[in-house]
Amino acid sequence: MNRQLLISAILLAASVPMTAQDTPAQDAPPPESRYNFRYTFAAINDATFYSDLVPPLPAQASQLLNDPAVTLFQNQLLVEPSFTLRYRSRWTLASSVVGLADSHGGLSAADFDVPAGSPAAQALDAFLVPYTGTFTQLRVKEAYAGLSVGDFDFMAGRRIVRWGTGYAFTAVGVLDPPRMPTNPTDRLNLNEGRDMVKADYVHGPHAFTLAWSTAALAPAAAGLHDTTAVRYNVLVHGFDTALIAGDDRGGDAFGGLTFTRVLGQAWELHGEAAWREHEAILLGAKYTMHSGVTFIGEFYTPPNIPYYRDMTISSLDGRQCYAFLTAYKNRLRELPGWKQWDLSAAMVTNLNDRSYTAIFDANRRFGSRFSSYLHMEIPVGKSTSEYGATPYATATSMGVRFQL
Amino acid sequence: MSKINWILRAFLVLFFAGLLVTCALVCHAAAAANPDAAALLKRSDTYRNGWPSYVVQVKITHLEAGKPDEEKLYEVSQKGTDKTYVEFLSPREKGQHLLMLGDDMWMYLPDTSRPVRITPLERLSGDASNGDVARTNYAADYSPIYLRTEKVGTEDCYVLDLTAKRKGATYQRILYWLRVEDARPVRAEFYLTSGKHIKSATFDEYLPSGGISLLHRLTLYDEIRHNSRSVLEYTGSTPRALPDKLFYQGRTDRF
Repeated sequence: MNRQLLISAILLAASVPMTAQDTPAQDAPPPESRYNFRYTFAAINDATFYSDLVPPLPAQASQLLNDPAVTLFQNQLLVEPSFTLRYRSRWTLASSVVGLADSHGGLSAADFDVPAGSPAAQALDAFLVPYTGTFTQLRVKEAYAGLSVGDFDFMAGRRIVRWGTGYAFTAVGVLDPPRMPTNPTDRLNLNEGRDMVKADYVHGPHAFTLAWSTAALAPAAAGLHDTTAVRYNVLVHGFDTALIAGDDRGGDAFGGLTFTRVLGQAWELHGEAAWREHEAILLGAKYTMHSGVTFIGEFYTPPNIPYYRDMTISSLDGRQCYAFLTAYKNRLRELPGWKQWDLSAAMVTNLNDRSYTAIFDANRRFGSRFSSYLHMEIPVGKSTSEYGATPYATATSMGVRFQL
Repeated sequence: MSKINWILRAFLVLFFAGLLVTCALVCHAAAAANPDAAALLKRSDTYRNGWPSYVVQVKITHLEAGKPDEEKLYEVSQKGTDKTYVEFLSPREKGQHLLMLGDDMWMYLPDTSRPVRITPLERLSGDASNGDVARTNYAADYSPIYLRTEKVGTEDCYVLDLTAKRKGATYQRILYWLRVEDARPVRAEFYLTSGKHIKSATFDEYLPSGGISLLHRLTLYDEIRHNSRSVLEYTGSTPRALPDKLFYQGRTDRF
């Protein structure tokens, strides 16, 4: 019994210095986890009113409208989960999808001077399906697997890649999702990536990328080709420069370069130059004021070839020139009660036909997870011009966003 | 007459010799009293950068009129004195990351899916600016001059005047109070190029981690809107071998 007590006492005594030694171990850095999991979740409800909408109806049907100025209502409910799983900083599995429920209202056969139940009314109802019911769809924005070995990174799957440095336009973004100057930040996160196999070699300030993208899974309307592209990116004396070359199967070969550079305290310059049958040039600048108000301006001139041409531009028109200007301020701290507000105003114009679209955005945060916003687009110009041909007078969107 | 000249010459020689010795002694004493500002600054940096390559979590709580207003969480990966990668972890900012290579800074925003170049002025936005989180090696960015020794509370402190080595530094001038005993940062005042006093900081709490003492809590006071302050809490500081490609500006991984 005494021996047991003695052994217990010795063990207890031994444990004291062990505990004392363990104390600093409590401060010791935690070991690196083998798995690294990150996720995001966003839910958005966006309601848009298109006022004075001219629906693209056959002329005979348009003449039968009781009121030629239609206000169309569109409600979009979006659920956007995404995750990335990493194993030992070597393997990566990532996915980002969007579930979309799209409802329309405001236009039906009742708006036409057509007897209810008549064959004409039934034909109209069938034609107006895109302007009535509710549609659901699942969009896969990204879904890819990656492997990192030494200086090499490999990935296969669908991925959003942006090689262009432009904010509202891009001349060299051969694998980029399409840029919309009226919505450069893709405010509803609906852009989808390209299906591709990509290899990156990153060593010091140098990076080489080889990518092959297939158009097999893309919708036919997207007009995409299989694309092979290489990119060399280097950072020298603050110049972030990239050279890009590639080939669209059944299309054109192309080449281009991009750069960005910060000058002094307030200026950033960026630009792109591309050659695809003819040259396309983008020049842009960003200026930040001491108050935090930031301006971005861009000039863009693409050649009038099918790859660059907007649907509303005739193939007979010559080279187009565009300008974009935006001013924004995040968090209006200086104004009492406005700290949670972000405001921005922008204008994109076609300098050839002098049409333009004015865009206004206001965003208000509520706590750490909720926000609401207002987005307005007002196209102005002749009905034959690029932005004047937009089939509505104003598009006003209001929405609520939840983030987890 | 010649005797008088000799006495006068001897007196002058002795006078100048004495003057030289006095000057030398005074200069030596002054040099001994003035600490090596560069060495002090380098040592003070170790309280925020414990290892050459490490990861740390930073929680920032903004307070308006003393009440918690907003909380943000970041994971900062730092390699050497000029490479910093910041991952944004709070719900509203998830998916964003920030990269700083020397004076060059990029912000990756999920909605634009590309790295956006950040100007030094944009770096200053917010109560706790991007630069406050991403740039903590003052010895690499600033040239120090010893000003004086004074008390801050009960602590004897060296006061250093730091001037930015380049225009790209987050602040153009910092007044920095370091504890005489161990060069631990106690207080700081941050100034813009215009000379405007924009922020102040108090280094409130240090904790041992992996056998070294590291900054645990820092408070930044907005000197323009005086009722606003931000508390930065550093936790989980861990030495980690970080690959160079983590700091590649073209990196477009969401996380």
